[in-house]
Amino acid sequence: MLKHTLQRLLLVLPVLLGVLLIGFLLMQVVPTDPAQVRAGPTATHDVVEAIRQELGLNQPLWKQFAIYLGRLLQGDLGVSIINNVPVTQELGNTIGPTLELMLASLVWAIPLGMFLGTVGAYYRGSLVDRAIMAFSVAGVSLPVFFLGLGLIWLFGFYYPILPFTGRVGPLWTWEGIQGIILPAITLGGVFVGPVARMTRTSVLDELGADHVRTARAKGLSESRVVLRHTLRNALVPVVTLIGLQIGFLLGGAVVTETVFSWPGIGRLAVGAILSSDLPMAQGTIIMLSLGFILINLAVDVLYAVLDPRVRGT
Amino acid sequence: MSSPMKLERNAFQPGAKTVEAAVSVAAAAPVRRKTVLRMLLSDVGSCVALSLVVLAILGAVFASWLAPTDPFGNDLANTLKPPGEGSLLGTDGQGRDMITRLLYGLRTTLMMGSASVVFGCTIGGIIGFAAAYYPRLSGLLMRFMDILLSFPAILFGLAIAAIFGPGLPAVIIALSIATVPLMARVVRGSALVVLQQGYIEAARSLGLSDLRIILRYVLPNCLSAIFVFVTLRFGQVILLGAALSFLGLGAQPPTAELGAMAADGRNFLFFAPHVSVLPSLVIFAVVLAFNVLGDSLRDALDPKLRK
Repeated sequence: MLKHTLQRLLLVLPVLLGVLLIGFLLMQVVPTDPAQVRAGPTATHDVVEAIRQELGLNQPLWKQFAIYLGRLLQGDLGVSIINNVPVTQELGNTIGPTLELMLASLVWAIPLGMFLGTVGAYYRGSLVDRAIMAFSVAGVSLPVFFLGLGLIWLFGFYYPILPFTGRVGPLWTWEGIQGIILPAITLGGVFVGPVARMTRTSVLDELGADHVRTARAKGLSESRVVLRHTLRNALVPVVTLIGLQIGFLLGGAVVTETVFSWPGIGRLAVGAILSSDLPMAQGTIIMLSLGFILINLAVDVLYAVLDPRVRGT
Repeated sequence: MSSPMKLERNAFQPGAKTVEAAVSVAAAAPVRRKTVLRMLLSDVGSCVALSLVVLAILGAVFASWLAPTDPFGNDLANTLKPPGEGSLLGTDGQGRDMITRLLYGLRTTLMMGSASVVFGCTIGGIIGFAAAYYPRLSGLLMRFMDILLSFPAILFGLAIAAIFGPGLPAVIIALSIATVPLMARVVRGSALVVLQQGYIEAARSLGLSDLRIILRYVLPNCLSAIFVFVTLRFGQVILLGAALSFLGLGAQPPTAELGAMAADGRNFLFFAPHVSVLPSLVIFAVVLAFNVLGDSLRDALDPKLRK
């Protein structure tokens, strides 16, 4: 178990370094001179040169990378060009709302997807099954922004009962909960289909297994066969695969945050790129990549905990 | 805890689902083209999907002939007309005819999708064949593909747009990169199946070069798997590209692109919803058609899945 975890950790290191290197190079290929930007357009040549010296910009590239890594370890990702706020501070402010949104989406989308998938598998080939599968394909084909805009129109304009502009308040207040409903339906909506499909395949496999036949032969009730003998086994792979799917969800989160002006990290990234705020763009992209690496690592480890067969490999 | 289901990493990603589907086709016995076509046409759903795909492609190709007006011709006296008033589908925020914009938008979106799929599949295909044919390369190459696969396409889109600036090229590069590892998996998976066949050994013993064996014998036998993958992937790529354009990272105004058009309509959502809804609907319909078609193709090409 420990060996597996350590192995995974070792594999993550080169990926991590690669991401940071790309993030670092991102600043190198852009034509703007960071020293000039920091000094401002009216600064004299001497001032720019002094800043260049201070930032280590006339050092060889590998040394600059080392300096950059050192600063990164101290939590220094530079300062926004637009409003001079430290990038790390801005990241700290936005990461919470993004996690909030993702959790609020998963909390309803996973159970619903699992339920639909199980029902579909149990009544395989029936009208219900076909309807669920059609719904799932439609869900996978639906643009996230379409769902979001549709919900805004319906519940923000036609029946104006829910807020749709940003995070109205913290989640423990009534306003906060109201404010997260529409974004969470949007983001979770695209997740239900894949979960349902996945669960259906897994449950179908399990329903044909020998121990399920044995359970039936023993005369157990159908609900007991499905709930105790099928679902418990079928859901383990689904749960781990959902973990790996979080990346897909974060992609949707970027769009959802933009549609609902949700103050998350995805919206921050898009805004920074559109306003050419490079330090901020770099910071958000590094942060998002780190998030993925960590999630993948966590799922890998969790996977080994849940399925002993993986540990040996 | 004995689920026989394949517990492959990332198997649940929308793209990876496609990988499994496509590879299963390669493992199946060859099916005659006529049979496939007949099976597709016997199913109402795939018939509708096929017609939609053909219609969309025709609309995009002949946009300049079909469009009633100039796609960039502003008419500020006739902005935000609802469908039916003056024009069949109304006008947008700058008075441009929606039919024209939709046709040109569809053209941009489909071109973006095709370019990404072509680039991504070419590079991914080469990597996949190399990994299948040269087992020594396989470990390194596929490990690298796994790493690429663990990052979502949207993140590539953000990074590339940050480096090169927002625009269609950025989106195409990002989506190509995101397609490479999936295609590599499909091709490697199907090529490994093909390489075990007797005729490959025969070709080897005849002393044919590696490249010749791959091009003459392996590639043709992987084509149906690749075809299924490309169909399913095309829908996903369009969806992702439209999302990136919606964010403002893709096609820049005044270029007509469906995702960008939907974003443009956000400002008029409450009093002229058609500006947003129509392009979104077109994306939805096209992606759905490609997904349904891909699923039916897989079912038709893989006899195991037939009922």
